[in-house]
Amino acid sequence: MEIIWFGALAVLLLGYFALEGFDIGLGILLPVLGRSQGDRDRLVGAMAPFVLAGEVWLVALVGVLFGAFSTLEGEVLSGLYPLVVALLLTWITRDAGLWFRRRADGAAWRRVWDGAICLGSAGLALTWGMTLVALARGMSAPLLGPAGVAGGIVVALAFCVHGWTFAAWRLPGDPAVRGARRTGRALLLTALTAAIPAALAVAVVASALIDHAAPPETLTTLGAIVLPCVPILVGAQVWVWRTFSRGALPTFF
Amino acid sequence: MDIVDLARAQFAVTGSLHFLFVVLTLGLAPLVAIMHTRYAITGDPLHERMTRFWGQIYVINYALGIFTGLVMEFQFGLSWSGLSRYAGDVFGAPLAIETLVAFFLESTFLGLWIFGWHRLPRALHVTCIWLVTLTAYASAFWIMVANSFLQHPVGSVEQGGRLVLRDFGALLTNPNLVFALPHVISAGLWTGGFVVMGASAYHLFRRTAEREFFTRSLRMGVVTATVGSALTVGFGYAQFGVIESTQPGKFDAAPESALGLMIGIGQLLQFGVMFVLLPLLIKNLLARWRWLHPLLMLITPLPFVAAIAGWLVREMGRQPWLVYGKLSVADAMTPGLSKAAITGSFVGFAGLLGLLAIIDYLLIARAVRRGPGQVSLGMPDRPADPVPQPAHSL
Repeated sequence: MEIIWFGALAVLLLGYFALEGFDIGLGILLPVLGRSQGDRDRLVGAMAPFVLAGEVWLVALVGVLFGAFSTLEGEVLSGLYPLVVALLLTWITRDAGLWFRRRADGAAWRRVWDGAICLGSAGLALTWGMTLVALARGMSAPLLGPAGVAGGIVVALAFCVHGWTFAAWRLPGDPAVRGARRTGRALLLTALTAAIPAALAVAVVASALIDHAAPPETLTTLGAIVLPCVPILVGAQVWVWRTFSRGALPTFF
Repeated sequence: MDIVDLARAQFAVTGSLHFLFVVLTLGLAPLVAIMHTRYAITGDPLHERMTRFWGQIYVINYALGIFTGLVMEFQFGLSWSGLSRYAGDVFGAPLAIETLVAFFLESTFLGLWIFGWHRLPRALHVTCIWLVTLTAYASAFWIMVANSFLQHPVGSVEQGGRLVLRDFGALLTNPNLVFALPHVISAGLWTGGFVVMGASAYHLFRRTAEREFFTRSLRMGVVTATVGSALTVGFGYAQFGVIESTQPGKFDAAPESALGLMIGIGQLLQFGVMFVLLPLLIKNLLARWRWLHPLLMLITPLPFVAAIAGWLVREMGRQPWLVYGKLSVADAMTPGLSKAAITGSFVGFAGLLGLLAIIDYLLIARAVRRGPGQVSLGMPDRPADPVPQPAHSL
């Protein structure tokens, strides 16, 4: 049972990096690729339908940490206190940009929230890199060191490449990506690349995680309720990708 | 303020903000689902406009529910790591199910509903909003299971200084859950009904062109508020017996003013809705009596006030315990949490969420004021190819 829940945790973290990484990367690149308001609107429209289905992987990850690895949950989140606070603040800033950018008229309003998307995304990617480095080093070293910053830059770069590839796949030939076109296979490749930093961190902490799993009663109860729902969870995600991969761009975000 | 007070204040502020938005989400979701179903069955454009207008209010409100909810989830580990160390194997289970199943599906289906206009077949699109509603209620259920465990820790035994899960079924039938859950959900319906009623009164008072739209909406708001308020009050009083036996002295620990405020608002409004507003739906008197409309707008925020007061009673009445009778709030605080850390996070969370909450309410007010004629939810998609803009557009 410990192995199953460790697997669930790993899948959620890697899934988050693969499925939310391109939204964050595209957010960072928004002012670079989207020179005009129309370009930015198309880029946001391309990623918008995937954001809600992507960020829940992290919400679920923390839930599993609490339910199945409860002694670690408090230790990890409080041990990484400033990073977790920064992660939340930047995540919320990015999300606010997406939700609010079209809720009022005027070019200035939309520019402000596009700025929030870019700053929030950049902060989120950097914080993630620092968090992975801190986790891999056992939270003993100072949280803000050169290694952490380097990790942040690596994650941000991986997300940017993933985000650019997503844009060239969803908006093939678009001026925002300078006419580039990428296949679904290329997108899968950058998704795997974006998940590598997360995979490395998981590999380092794997044995500590498994040692701290909740007792069998808790894990069995959780499994009995969650496992039957897995096909629905996967089905809903597949539905999102089948629905929004092609065609016109939604305009709500 | 010492560190425990700061950590408590942070939880209280973010939790109260969260519930302000969640209570409306819980109330509006089924109303929007009903409107959308009517549209799907009849094809009547009026129902489509109602779905999009009230759906947009629901969605704008939803954003802040997410932002504040993220902070709530992470905050347990940040400043209350003693809770997960002591009771995580029990308390963590319902939270894990809420995030991994209920919210995971709710957010995914909400994305499909928001962006699925003109794309999903009508029946499937309607199914999405019902699934959003269902999973939102499932979320409320699991969160209330977790909260009720803090009030009355059943289904577990202490072993080696930690709680171990023994009977998960006892968590689901916790006496502190069975009346509190319908109490909270009915309060959501009441709040949703009042927001629909108040916004409709605004348009009827202003004599905007949308007379039929808002006469019908007003009717739906009042009927919802009647059902919601009656159930809220009923399930509220029903809890006194349970609290007497499981948490004696709860109302001595809770601030008396909060309990009095909640009961005062609840009782007064419930009578008013049932014996004044509901009968005035006959021959649409309420929609026609314009002098009453400012009053309807004025009382719209009251269910929110009562809802927050209710939570204050429930949570402050638990003091000084985090897990009632087992783990004190002071012992649950993260060991070694520094004053600088908690002050910094408190300022950051309260500042950012407070600012976004104000913006969100202004945006909701703007969406209400602009009316059903200018709704961006469900607008046609744009072609993926960039269209060259003409030099002079109309």
